[in-house]
Amino acid sequence: MAQPDMVPAAIESETKVSPRSDFRSGLGWTALGLAIVYGSWTMDRLAHLNVSPYTVPGLVPGVLGVCIAFMGAILTFRAISQGALKATPRGGINFAEHARLYVSLAFCLMFGLVLMGHGLPFWLAAALYISGFVALFQWPERQEKGQNLRGLLVAIGFGLIVGLVIHYVFEDLFLVRMP
Amino acid sequence: MFDGLIAFGHSIGNFLTPTTLAYALASTLVGLVIGALPGLTATMGVALMTTLTLKLPPNDAILILICTYIGAIYGGSRSAILLNIPGTPASAASCLDGYALARQGLAGRAMGIATSGSVIGTWIGMICLAFFTPVLGEMALKFGAYEFFWLAVFGVVISGNLTGTDPLKGWIAGFLGLFIAAIGQEGMYAYDRFTFGVHDLSGGISLIPALVGAFGFAEVLTVMSEPVRKFTINAFDTVIPRIRDVLQYWRTVIRSGLIGTFMGIVPGVGEDVAAWSSYAAARRASKEKEKFGKGSVEGLMAAETGDNACVPGAVIPVLTLAVPGSAPAAVLLAAMLIHGVRPGPLIMIENPGFVYDVVAMMLIASFGILFYGLTLTKLLVKILMVPRVLIMPVIFVLCCVGAYAIAGRLFDVYVMLGFGVVGFLLRKLNYPMAPLVLGIVLGDILDKNLRRGLTLSDGDLTPFIIRPISAVMLAAILFTILMSIPICREMLSAALAPLRRLLSRNTQ
Repeated sequence: MAQPDMVPAAIESETKVSPRSDFRSGLGWTALGLAIVYGSWTMDRLAHLNVSPYTVPGLVPGVLGVCIAFMGAILTFRAISQGALKATPRGGINFAEHARLYVSLAFCLMFGLVLMGHGLPFWLAAALYISGFVALFQWPERQEKGQNLRGLLVAIGFGLIVGLVIHYVFEDLFLVRMP
Repeated sequence: MFDGLIAFGHSIGNFLTPTTLAYALASTLVGLVIGALPGLTATMGVALMTTLTLKLPPNDAILILICTYIGAIYGGSRSAILLNIPGTPASAASCLDGYALARQGLAGRAMGIATSGSVIGTWIGMICLAFFTPVLGEMALKFGAYEFFWLAVFGVVISGNLTGTDPLKGWIAGFLGLFIAAIGQEGMYAYDRFTFGVHDLSGGISLIPALVGAFGFAEVLTVMSEPVRKFTINAFDTVIPRIRDVLQYWRTVIRSGLIGTFMGIVPGVGEDVAAWSSYAAARRASKEKEKFGKGSVEGLMAAETGDNACVPGAVIPVLTLAVPGSAPAAVLLAAMLIHGVRPGPLIMIENPGFVYDVVAMMLIASFGILFYGLTLTKLLVKILMVPRVLIMPVIFVLCCVGAYAIAGRLFDVYVMLGFGVVGFLLRKLNYPMAPLVLGIVLGDILDKNLRRGLTLSDGDLTPFIIRPISAVMLAAILFTILMSIPICREMLSAALAPLRRLLSRNTQ
C-alpha cells in the first residue's frame, strides 16, 4: 500500500515500468513530436488570404510538436541514465499470460467494428457479443462443474435480455438513436 | 447575498417535483453502483449518462449527471471498505482505514463515517460553490487572450504534475491532449489540420467518445487483463452515521472539506488528489497519528470528506472559466455545451440562475447519497458479488452506444475504440489519463488565445509576461516545473534550510 503522506504515489494503481519501456516510449514521443513539427511547418500558411504569420494554422501544433519532441527526448535520456541500454535478459511476450486480454480485445473490436452498425439490429448484435463473451470466459468454470450446456444457455439468455433492455431503455424510453 | 439565497430557493422549488426527484434518486443509485464496482469510474458513468439524457430538458439532464457524479464518488468507498479495493481512484485513501475498521468488525461504522463525511464534504463544497462562483466569475471577466493562454498551459502542467507519479509523463499526456484538440478544422480560418483527407476528422475528435474510450473501454481491458481476485466480505454492524464521530473530528471535517474544494478548483486535478491531500493533512494535524492506516475514524472521515468536497469544487472552474477541475467535470462541461448552457466568465451575467440550479442539484444529490447510505448496504454487497465477466461486456456495449449516440455516426465508435486501446497502453506505461482529457478540453482555448494574443501584440511576447494575472500564472508554471526537477528541489531545500532552522528554534 502506498505511503499515505506521499500524495501522488497513491493516485493510480501504478505498475513498475522498466527503463527499456520508457526508452522506447521516449523515442516514440520524440518521433511523433518531430512528425507534428514537420506537418505543421509544411502546412499551408494561407498567404493568398494575407494571413498574419502569428495566426497561421500550423503555429500552435508546431509549438506543441516541439514540446512533445523535447519531453520525449528528456524521457529517452532519463531512461538511458537509468540503464535502459544495459543488456538484460529479455522475456518475450507470454501469450498465455495475456490470453484474457487478447480475447477480450478481439471480442470488443469484433463488436465495435463488425457487428455494430452494419445491418444487424443493435439488440441482436449486442446479444451475440455478450453471449459469446460470457460463454467463452465462463467455459473453464462450467466445464469443471460439468455444466457446459447450462452455461451456454445462461450466456445466451443473459445476452438476449441485456441486448433487448439496452435497446428499449435507450431507444424507446430515452429516445436516443441507436446504431 | 440575499439575491443568491432567493435564487437558490427558487432553484430548490423548481426541483421538488416527483419526476425530478425520481431522476435524482435513480441517477444517484446508478452512480453509486458504478462507483462501487471496481474498474468503473465516475468519468465513465457521467459520460454514459450524458448519452442517455440527450433528449431531456437541460436542467433534468444536468441534475442526473451531477447525481451520478456525486453518487459514484461516494460509491467508491463501499468497495474500499468492504473489499479493500477502491471502487474509484478517489477511494484509494479510504481503503487504508476503512478496510482496517471492517476487519475489526466495524464495517457498518466505517460506512456510516463514509456517508457522513461524503454528505458534509458535498455541503462544504456546495457552500464554496455558491459563494466563490460569482467572485471567480467576476475575476474571470478580467481574463484576456494572454491569461486564457496561460490558464490552458497552467491546467495541463499542474494536472500532469499532480495526477501521476511521474510529472514528465503527465505533461507528455497533457500536451498530447492539446495536440489531439488541434486535429480537425481550426477556429479562425476553418482550415483542416492533420485530417489526412479523412472527412470525418474535419469536425475534430469529440470529447465524449474520447473520454468513453479512455475511461470506459480502457477500463474494460484493464479489468479483463487482471487475474480474478478472490475476496471475502467482513460482517458489518449498523451503518447509521454517528453524530459523535462528526463532532469529535469537526476540525478535520472542515479542513478536509476546504482542501477538497480547493483541489477541485485546480484544473484537472480531481477527487483522488483531494482525498489523499485531505488524508495527509489530517494525519499531520492529528493527535492520534499512530492510528492512521490501522482503522482511524479521523483518517477515513478526512478522505471521504475531501473527495466529495472536490466535486462541487471541480464544478466552480467549469462554470466560471469553462475549464474542468476533474475528468468527470470535463464530461459535465461537454454535457452543458450539448444542452445549450454556455459556461464561462459571462455565466453570472447571462445565466446567473443556472449557478444556483447547480448548487441545488448538489444538495439534492447529497440527500440521495444519505438516503442510499442508510438503506442500500445489503443490496450493494450483492451487486459487488456479480462476476466481472457478466459486467464488462455490458459496459462495453454501453460504451459503444455512448460514443455513437452523441452525433449518430460510427466514426465516433472507432474514435472510442482507438482511445480505449491507446489509453490502456498509456496506463500500462504509467501515463495518467486526466491531463490527456484536460488537454483535449483546453486545446481550443490555447490555440485561439495564443494566436489572438500574438495578433493583438503584433508578435510581441511582453504582454504574455508582464500583465499581472499572466505573470502570476507563468510564475506558478515555472515553479511547478522547477520543483519537479530533483536538482532544483534540492537547491531550494538547501536555500530554505536556515529559515527552517530559525523557525524551529523560535517555536521551541
